[in-house]
Amino acid sequence: MLRHMLMARGVDEEAGLLQNQGAIDLWLSCRGQEAAQVGSALAIGDEAVIFPSYREHAVAIVRGIDGVSLVAQWAGRTYCGWNPRKHGFFPYTLVLAAQTLHGVGYAIGQRLQNMAETVVVYVGDGATSEGDMSEALNLAAVESAQVLFICQNNGWAISKPSHEQMLTSIADRAQGFGVRSWSISADDPDLTYLSCVEAMQYVEASRSPALIELRTTRIGGHTTSDPHTKYREPDELATAVANDPVEQYRDTLVAEDVVDEQWLSSVDADVAAARRDLLKAFAQ
Amino acid sequence: MIGTAADCLAESLNGALGDLMETDESVVLVGQDIGRLGGVFRVTKGLQERFGSDRVRDAVLAESSIVGQAIGMSLSGLKPVCEIQFEGFIYPGMNQIVTQAARIKARWNDDVALNLVIRVPVGGGIRAVEHHSESNEAYFAHSPGLHVAFPSCPTDAAAMLKYSVALGSPVIFYEPKRLYWKRRPQTRDGSEPESDLSARVVRRGSDITVVGWGAVLEEVLKAAELVASRVDVEVVDLRWIAPMDVETVLSSVTRTGRLLVVHEAVGFAGVGAELVATVAERGSGLLRSPMRRLAAPRQLYPPADYEEHYLIGVSDVIGVIEEMCG
Repeated sequence: MLRHMLMARGVDEEAGLLQNQGAIDLWLSCRGQEAAQVGSALAIGDEAVIFPSYREHAVAIVRGIDGVSLVAQWAGRTYCGWNPRKHGFFPYTLVLAAQTLHGVGYAIGQRLQNMAETVVVYVGDGATSEGDMSEALNLAAVESAQVLFICQNNGWAISKPSHEQMLTSIADRAQGFGVRSWSISADDPDLTYLSCVEAMQYVEASRSPALIELRTTRIGGHTTSDPHTKYREPDELATAVANDPVEQYRDTLVAEDVVDEQWLSSVDADVAAARRDLLKAFAQ
Repeated sequence: MIGTAADCLAESLNGALGDLMETDESVVLVGQDIGRLGGVFRVTKGLQERFGSDRVRDAVLAESSIVGQAIGMSLSGLKPVCEIQFEGFIYPGMNQIVTQAARIKARWNDDVALNLVIRVPVGGGIRAVEHHSESNEAYFAHSPGLHVAFPSCPTDAAAMLKYSVALGSPVIFYEPKRLYWKRRPQTRDGSEPESDLSARVVRRGSDITVVGWGAVLEEVLKAAELVASRVDVEVVDLRWIAPMDVETVLSSVTRTGRLLVVHEAVGFAGVGAELVATVAERGSGLLRSPMRRLAAPRQLYPPADYEEHYLIGVSDVIGVIEEMCG
């Protein structure tokens, strides 16, 4: 778990630096959301096809996609830098919530072909305002589609805070469509993992959809082009930085002697190698 | 049901869909009221009884859901054929068509087949209420990544549908409503299209080339017949709006030296403008007179009492042909 989080953090940091140098065009940081992403991705397992939004870099890393493949589209080299089928991680969808309906259709299609794998759809809190999200929840419910919606609620849709985006929680809304749901704080990857396992098991056992809202934190801007200090209160931002899930988890595992310095240095070396690969690929 | 030459458009499409489902288990139909009811135009009549409700799926009343789920079904290995009930209701599904279906192959680095047909009843002349009579092919012709089919007769429609279903790339498949139950179409010369995506010459002539597609081709053929003693009209059925077979049109214009494009949709920024512009770029030396378009004005489709004046009639076509050849 920590290995993936550290790798995601390293790739994310390096991509941000590369963008800052003009070596890549844009980067959408997942800083602060690593616990939500890695915890949920490990709970999903290897089998389910994932329909991501566009910020699920740590999920991609869990699925074996390397940093260079992940960054390629943000450097203008391709629309998608990895093989979607090989990794069971479909291309990022930049038109918000459009992928939610694809995921439901995929699940229906699999059922019609007597395949019973669960489909996982990632979506952000802002995107839940799109009509497609409501249509997807309704369709999944009425078709009893085997889909787990994982909604990362990082509190911000670019500059618009969640409380101005919706009156009820996303989890509450899902229930209105007849979709079983949970809402959890997702700053701790272990707890996130356990909750997502429960949600995943529910979907598989009931062969019906569910939604889990992962309340998480966006430490960076929406993108590298988003000067988020303009609209975020210094205190809120300082709290977000202080609650960094990667640092906290690392400290916890060290304190509990789950990992030692030797293990950490070997991971750090892998992360450093991945960062070098990014530099080699993009910093010309 | 086996399609025969005597079928009307609705029967021919019904037969083609039945054949497709019979021979390929991955073909599924998704649309509003297509199952129990057989579709508001009865194009899918009897198919749910034959193939079951898993494969002939009555969709929820949401066009974005229809197209969006069909994209997912296609990625899962099926070959969905959607029905949008009327062309005026396609817009809620527009985002899924233009930003998703049309781009998914490219987004997957061409390493995926996206079999997806979106059937769309189109056009007026059936005394329908608002949003049930327009011709909106230009929007889709403009979007890279989409094929746009616009058949004008039952046999072509069946063949083009069969071609579209397994194309591996999304197709907007227009079906002219007023041809659905028309039993006696204008006669056509029997020349076959050169390929699946070609236009075809449906009447040989030497004085002028008139290009059309869909239902208005009936008016064009009728006009050609009525002026036959004075003007020898060649008629080209474009069949596919995108990709557009300009070669067949250019080769016809080489023989006739004149080009008139007739379409039911609004003329402004329409498909006719694209065709005329392309011929201007590539073959203006062939022309004996300026090219013309005959199309609807840039006005809303009127209430049914006024549609006769709005639609292109046989006399309108004759008028322009005579002006051009006079």
